[in-house]
Amino acid sequence: MPPPVRPLAALSAAVLVALASAAAALAQGTRGGFAPLEPQSTGAERIDDLYWFLVAITTFVLLLVMVPLLVFVVRFRSRGRPRTVEGPQIRGNTAYEIAWTLVPVALVALTVGFTIYKVPGIVDPSPGEEQTVVRVEGRQFYWQFEYENGVIAIDRLRLPVGRTTLLRLTAPDGDVIHSFWAPALMGKQDTIPGQLTRLRIEPTREGTYRLFCGEFCGIQHTAMRGEVEVLSQQEFEQWLEQERRTQEEQPISLGGAIWTGVCAKCHDPELDLGPPLEGNPILNDPRAVELVVRRGRGAMPGVGQRWSEEQMEALQVFLETTLAPRREEDGDDGDG
Amino acid sequence: MTATASPETQHPPQLRPPTPPDWREGRVMGWITTLDHKRIGILYIVTSLVFFLLAGLMALLMRTQLATPDAAFMTRDAYNQLFTMHGTAMIFLVVVPIWAGFANYLVPLMIGARDMAFPRLNAMSYWLFLLSGIVFFASFFAEHGAARAGWYSYPPLSIQSFGNGQDLWILSLHILTISSLAGAINFLVTIHNMRTPGMTWMRLPLFVWSIEVYAALLVAVLPALTAGLTLLLLDRMRLTSFFVAAEGGDPILYQHVFWFFGHPEVYIIILPAFGVISEVLPVFSRKPIFGYKAIAFSTVAIGFLSMLVWAHHMYTVGLPLWLQGFFMVSSMVVAVPTGVKIFNWVATTWRGNLIFDTPMLYAIGFLVVFTIGGLSGIFIAAFPFDWYAHDTYFIVAHMHYVLFGGAIFALFAALHYWWPKLFGRMLDERLGKVQFWTTFVGFNLAFFPQHMLGLLGMPRRVYTYEDEPLWTEYNLVSTIGSYLMGLGVLLFVVNALRTRRRGPRAGNDPWLADTLEWYATSPPPPHNFDRVPYVTSARPLRDLRRRLAERNGGRV
Repeated sequence: MPPPVRPLAALSAAVLVALASAAAALAQGTRGGFAPLEPQSTGAERIDDLYWFLVAITTFVLLLVMVPLLVFVVRFRSRGRPRTVEGPQIRGNTAYEIAWTLVPVALVALTVGFTIYKVPGIVDPSPGEEQTVVRVEGRQFYWQFEYENGVIAIDRLRLPVGRTTLLRLTAPDGDVIHSFWAPALMGKQDTIPGQLTRLRIEPTREGTYRLFCGEFCGIQHTAMRGEVEVLSQQEFEQWLEQERRTQEEQPISLGGAIWTGVCAKCHDPELDLGPPLEGNPILNDPRAVELVVRRGRGAMPGVGQRWSEEQMEALQVFLETTLAPRREEDGDDGDG
Repeated sequence: MTATASPETQHPPQLRPPTPPDWREGRVMGWITTLDHKRIGILYIVTSLVFFLLAGLMALLMRTQLATPDAAFMTRDAYNQLFTMHGTAMIFLVVVPIWAGFANYLVPLMIGARDMAFPRLNAMSYWLFLLSGIVFFASFFAEHGAARAGWYSYPPLSIQSFGNGQDLWILSLHILTISSLAGAINFLVTIHNMRTPGMTWMRLPLFVWSIEVYAALLVAVLPALTAGLTLLLLDRMRLTSFFVAAEGGDPILYQHVFWFFGHPEVYIIILPAFGVISEVLPVFSRKPIFGYKAIAFSTVAIGFLSMLVWAHHMYTVGLPLWLQGFFMVSSMVVAVPTGVKIFNWVATTWRGNLIFDTPMLYAIGFLVVFTIGGLSGIFIAAFPFDWYAHDTYFIVAHMHYVLFGGAIFALFAALHYWWPKLFGRMLDERLGKVQFWTTFVGFNLAFFPQHMLGLLGMPRRVYTYEDEPLWTEYNLVSTIGSYLMGLGVLLFVVNALRTRRRGPRAGNDPWLADTLEWYATSPPPPHNFDRVPYVTSARPLRDLRRRLAERNGGRV
């Protein structure tokens, strides 16, 4: 008996096991990784539809190739016939070859047609409706969100459910390319220095979803993670108004968010990236701090380029109250 | 063409005053000074294989880091250097030059020529390639380490990057482009001018067809890479600001230039693999290739189309929708000639006498995994889905199905098929089969789960990940698979070393093949052929066997 049959049996067993475990995994909520994450926005749902359409088309083609191949491999295996035994000397068949040119052409046309049909609903799920606008800046290594009323958020984007939000994405000129990606909510959109791109999201369910940077952006690319929190419209409006007041009255709260989202990603003492800042004398010199934060120094990128005065002030307040070395030993101002 | 030639055999047409193929004698000096296309080919192949082992080792280190969540096997910076160097090395220093090696060895033999058109240029190409590899790997020892901006080194990140690693990366690729360009021109001139009498374009072995398109593509797109890298270097030196937004430059411009080269590069890698499969399948099916013309012309069609699809790497940069639509259509159209090839290959096995020696196993394995890789390509050609899958492990999976499943499976088919010609000894068949199954199973374990990881939302180029549902499981499976692949590659090295002296002698034509290289001895003499049979079909060697059989009264 020539060998190819036994490996084939082993292979089919392996495929069966894989299918069984796939079915088991599908039963869990994550869809087992056999489809995009459960879509939570109108656009993501339509991308999901496209995915299943593509699955259907490609499975059909896969079977069209694999079934004959497997049949031929088993059926026409040598079975000990000597090498000198030749098969029939068939050089081709124009009719067949035209057929298997036209079938892919038809499938491609179908796929292109279906994709184009889906595009408008993905790009702009509810055209003409009033939209919340958020400016998104991808920066090394954090996300900065600016709402129309001046509220700034770091690494945590809040969106209202059931309404389209227009994200206007960019990156500061001196920064690098990032890519905004909340898998459950929408496809990626790069944030590019010097360019403005846009993304519209109409979330369908409240919840908290993960946010990643898609484009490799440097040493802390992995840490450039955030969350998108989808709130009810009422909660969203309340939060937006309350946050505006908080940021005006107690800048230290924004300062704390900046510290965690921007500075601590490298200067956390548990990491070996930036020097630890607690008690660092530079913190007593706000001008020096501002210079370093805006322009960067050595390996440190200018994380604070184009920050507003208020934003810089917020960070300074936070640094002074929590991390700066105390000038008087018995100042007793607590440690944040 | 000489009118006096007998129809049976023909002197090689390029009888120039003989250049001594090695102008210094000696075990080492002979190789260093050689102008013999076969020795240069072997140098290319062996050097690329060494680079393959090094770049593969980098992959195993990365997979070790990713085996478990929140691992601290290596630092972020080390990881960033490794994926940059792994990708660059595999693409530029392994797959492209190894096809140059096979083409060097095989093209003159297959077309019945004595050597390449320009033997000295040929030697220069090889030595520049080696130099580029040395510069490349030495850059790990540069201050601050090697390049760390990814294999496509997008600015502004690659401009910002510290130390000389990035500059050495550019330098090494500059050297390599000179080497590849010289080699490509050499192939074109050789194929166009040095075919033996009777070898018309429609009788050219399909591997030579693929090298023709491979070389034409290199000539067409390498200058774009050279230009892009030069601009990048100037920007890094702070002399210019082509890609610096703050000074009016445009970082996206680099992406257009890079991918105008970068996508044809994929076909530069895969077309010779198609050529290998088109040689191996008929010989081990004991049939002619099904639809020779369709396969030859589809090679040309793919080569042409490959220059029209580059921006499908850039769906997320915010191109206008109609432009994304154009690139979707052009990318999907590539599936048509590729489909023609795959169906013709499957049809080649129909009613054959399929002999499952190792080269055939790899060719069939290629059909399976490459088809999967091609089909996942359809997913990401549809741009709205690519907005989801772009820069995730889905892409990593797709690209390895095409590049490892395509190019490296074909490479192992080629190594096992032509090894007897290169070294005169057969590889161990049993070890070869074990190696195939190890690699095949390992490959699918390593890369199939990466599709799932991508769909689960895992971005690529992250040095570690948190314990998200299923991420840990799939990553662990992937790492185990990658170790199996490593074992597979190691088995090949063992096989090669073991049979080097002790393997059975191959003889001229152990596989009863179709093409002229099997007419020469194994290994062939420096001048290749004393006489070349007059070529009357695409399968001159089979014609010769049949004529001999007729003469001997039916015995083969």
